[in-house]
Amino acid sequence: MSDEQKANKPKKRMTATKAAASIGPMVKEFIAGTLKAREERSHKLAYTFIVCHHEEILRALDVLPIWTENFAGICGAKRDAERFLQRAESLGFSRSLCTYALCGLGFDQWREELGEMPPEAPWGGQARPDMMISSGQILCDPRAKWYQAAQQYMPDVPIYNIDLPHPLYDPKNDHKEQWAYYHKYIVEQLRGLVSFLEEQTGKKMDYDRLSELVELTEKTWNLIHETYELRKAVPTPMGTGDAMNTMVPMCFNMGTQVAYDFFVNLKKELEEKIQKGEGEVAEEKYRLMWGGGLPAWFALKDFNYFNSKGASFPVETTYRMVAPLYEMDIPDAKDPIERIAWRWLGYWNFWFDRARKRPGSHPDVERLINHIENYKIDGIVMHEAFSCRTWHVGLIWQLNQLAKIYKPIPVLSLGQNGKQQTKHCELPSLILESDIIDITSYSEADTRNKIDAFIETLESLRQNRADSK
Amino acid sequence: MPEPQSDVVSRVDAMYQDYAGRAKELAGQGARFIGYVCSFVPLEMIAASGCFPFRIRGDVHEPITKGDTLLETIVCPFYRSCFDLMLKGKYDFASGVVIPHACDSMVRSYDVWNYALNLPYTHFVNVPSVCGDSALRFFEAELISFKQSLEKYTGVSITDEKLAHSIRAYNLNRKKARDIYALRKTHPPAILGSDLVKVLSVGASLPVEESNELFDQVLQACSGANKTDAQSGPRILIDGPCLDNMDLIKLIEDCGAQVVGDTTCNGARDHFPLTDEIRPPVQALADRYLNKLNCPKTYRDNQAGTFEKDADNRFGDIESYAKDYSADGVILYVYKYCDPFGFEVPARKTYLESKNIPVLYLEDLYSSGATGQLKTRIQAFLEMIG
Amino acid sequence: MQPSIYAGIDIGSTMTKAIILHDEIVAQVIGPTGAEHRSLAFQVMETALEQAGVDIQSISYIVSTGYGRINVPFADKQITEISCHARGIAHLFPTAKSIVDIGGQDSKAISINSAGRPVDFVMNDKCAAGSGRFVEIIADTLGIDLSEVGATSLRSDRPARISNICTIWAQQEVAAQIAAGESVENILAGVHDALAGKIARMAKRLRLEGPVVLTGGGGKNPGLIAALSRHLGYEVLVPKEPLITGALGAALLGRELYEKAIKNNTPIATQPRLLDRVKLY
Repeated sequence: MSDEQKANKPKKRMTATKAAASIGPMVKEFIAGTLKAREERSHKLAYTFIVCHHEEILRALDVLPIWTENFAGICGAKRDAERFLQRAESLGFSRSLCTYALCGLGFDQWREELGEMPPEAPWGGQARPDMMISSGQILCDPRAKWYQAAQQYMPDVPIYNIDLPHPLYDPKNDHKEQWAYYHKYIVEQLRGLVSFLEEQTGKKMDYDRLSELVELTEKTWNLIHETYELRKAVPTPMGTGDAMNTMVPMCFNMGTQVAYDFFVNLKKELEEKIQKGEGEVAEEKYRLMWGGGLPAWFALKDFNYFNSKGASFPVETTYRMVAPLYEMDIPDAKDPIERIAWRWLGYWNFWFDRARKRPGSHPDVERLINHIENYKIDGIVMHEAFSCRTWHVGLIWQLNQLAKIYKPIPVLSLGQNGKQQTKHCELPSLILESDIIDITSYSEADTRNKIDAFIETLESLRQNRADSK
Repeated sequence: MPEPQSDVVSRVDAMYQDYAGRAKELAGQGARFIGYVCSFVPLEMIAASGCFPFRIRGDVHEPITKGDTLLETIVCPFYRSCFDLMLKGKYDFASGVVIPHACDSMVRSYDVWNYALNLPYTHFVNVPSVCGDSALRFFEAELISFKQSLEKYTGVSITDEKLAHSIRAYNLNRKKARDIYALRKTHPPAILGSDLVKVLSVGASLPVEESNELFDQVLQACSGANKTDAQSGPRILIDGPCLDNMDLIKLIEDCGAQVVGDTTCNGARDHFPLTDEIRPPVQALADRYLNKLNCPKTYRDNQAGTFEKDADNRFGDIESYAKDYSADGVILYVYKYCDPFGFEVPARKTYLESKNIPVLYLEDLYSSGATGQLKTRIQAFLEMIG
Repeated sequence: MQPSIYAGIDIGSTMTKAIILHDEIVAQVIGPTGAEHRSLAFQVMETALEQAGVDIQSISYIVSTGYGRINVPFADKQITEISCHARGIAHLFPTAKSIVDIGGQDSKAISINSAGRPVDFVMNDKCAAGSGRFVEIIADTLGIDLSEVGATSLRSDRPARISNICTIWAQQEVAAQIAAGESVENILAGVHDALAGKIARMAKRLRLEGPVVLTGGGGKNPGLIAALSRHLGYEVLVPKEPLITGALGAALLGRELYEKAIKNNTPIATQPRLLDRVKLY
């Protein structure tokens, strides 16, 4: 590493929990594991995406997933994505496309051209895969296009694309009327994945083992939910900054004992902190919700900046990729593949029935309201990453709709007759703008200015509320 | 005695300028129009319910204002323009919209359309992202949901007979569109590219029977002698998503070239594939919209295992149209923020160049000002291939 | 027979360049385009005619090029600067394979064949960050004369890191670096590095081959030349007068067109030329 790179190397971010601090080494070990597996040919390696509910299938057949979004995120967090993004740009990809994918494509093309890892590759680089598992689900176009584009540079690596749709919300219709054919399709798609993997690995699926892994995952899901619910405590023992670390075992290690044990420990740690009254912030003044958008991985320290102003984040909608299975209204199935498919539908349609009960609501808005109330939220922060439509379209509208149907904050004001009266205003919100890994879209000075102004708004509302009491 | 070409063209032009004027008139008499933006919406189903589908157009000359208060600017600029016009009441005669699972811009803003426009009918058609038997069966079930939702809204029962009738009407429409395309096989083409786009646009705003009549008039007026005053400049094929504005095509024509073909969503991609008239109608529709629409959104297995063969399967139609219409070059025209096409730009370019077809890649913002800036590139490309 | 006279005029966003060709270059003039309505462009032509001592009516063929090439009342044909640079560079550097042009408002890269014809090109004209304007704005922020920017940057010992290539933000970043005590030399070197990087990325979309020739205002900035060469991985050649290659190409293409017309016996109808203001594009 050159002196210049060393000088620009971001320093380690402070975390509130010990568990979150252990994530860095965990990811490093994981990447080292894939590189070793490549070298020793001990496992088949598959490029793939998180939140496809296929981890148990991969693990039951001893296929090691390489989470390509994660590697791009690492490049971003290390502030070393630019050279890969630039390479993708030179290959002819527009810089307006998903920067995870651009970073990955730039890296892969470079590795293929050299026949070895690009120089100074972050954490040893991303191993060449034996296969790529796309997911053209109703979630993200780049997930269906990325590996197809990568095949231009590694045509010998086969792709399996699993389609995993779910019904969209319609206030007038019951989504469950469509579940039967959705479920059937998802099961067929997942069985297709099993045959593909069996062909690639030369192994036969052991369905007992798969069932065990599915059970482990379900247990872990419920555990994560209960662990995160502990953050309702005042002061909150853990914030979104840490959750952007703890998403790693949740999204990358599902279906393993490692993930389960991690959350057992985290839960214990949070319980201890709560008992001691230890908060993420020494003096918690504002409780904020990260209400949408992937984080800017190169600027996670902005969470510490919020903390320095007395603001903590007890809850976030991002990377809360689990929901309690016992609260899902899904049929009980014996077959592990069928179970996974129901879990998929139960997760994505989790807030539908609740939304239907509140006029003008919508699952995403309903979830915001639920969190505002349960986590005693004073304000909402969102992030708009320019390169990702998946998670960043609809955020403005959600805030608009929230303001329309939900006004939780009493504000003291003077009425027409000069008498004091209490009005209810919507929750203040802040939308930060930059990107997931493209640092050229980010200005620290601008971002911190916005945060300062937002904190001032929260403070004046707090004063107002104190006056009205 | 057929109408002179200039008369038909100016009539089409007037209808194009007053887009959806006829639809508005019919809506005033009680007809129900359902808007759509993308080729993945099965129009036959809407028509069989007694409603009329019409294609929502954007406007490159209208700055996006109202739309931006509800929809992020990272959405496809074409789609943002359509939403902006809807919000501004440009299509206020519409009774509903149908949005398909085509791209993230559409899927992710479905709720915004649904809630903000608050139309009597809004429906989402979940088109699979992959092909194959299970995908086809799923899509058939999804189309039955679509059918039921239309039935609930209109109170009309959509029988197989009605569906078969509307399938025939749309097949006829597409055959006629293909015949109009064929007018451009001559040197110089018997119809200008800009006029053809106007004809197709206007056609997509009319009840299919009226659209068929219009296409017949165009065919009669343009067949026979070459009646365009087109020069014999380079012949261009445009590849890309929906290109419903005249600015780019006019710009190319103003630079002395002819637009002789396309593989765009409101052009050949949508108009060339026909629906099987023998299979059961819902199944036949599922087959057409899933298997025959060659959109980058639908993943088709790379069975060959090589980039070249796979590219042949994915982009071979562009090459064959380029040959059919004797195109000298291809302009690959893609909007900023378009993930489905954006990720294919290097592959499309590599493929076409391997077939010795020169390619100019343009990224645009769907605004007339930005399109104007492309002039030097287009002119230089024409100088290069000319 | 007296050889014919040809002229090329390249009307750029800030500078207009004119060439009169009579067997060899007999006049070469560079002057401002005129901020409003390109009002001064025709004066450059006038000066060139004076310098060459020829009357505009005696010129056989005039080609206009550049951003303001359209509606030039005295031109016979307008051709884009892509084709003109290619032709001009092929004349000056017969072995050149690629051209990078860094102008006031845009930048472009062109691959050319041995006949001096473009075979592929890419262009950035949508944002100041990829053009000479970027350096101008930064020079302005630093209060440095534009002509000194290149030499100053070459004295840098450790180029500053400009992470934002967006002009507005880069300006902020530069201001912050000054405040932090970074030297002007290092900042300028960083700015050149950022700009060269952006242009090189664009140029690499072509199947780039050397030798690479740099034209346009960027060719007058030794700091930028060095940075570009580093980013491209090729030696960068620069014409003696990098601003003139478009106009030269225009005149040469004019000659080709005229001679071809004579040969094919399709003489070009010559009308009295109107040396008048260039109308707004």
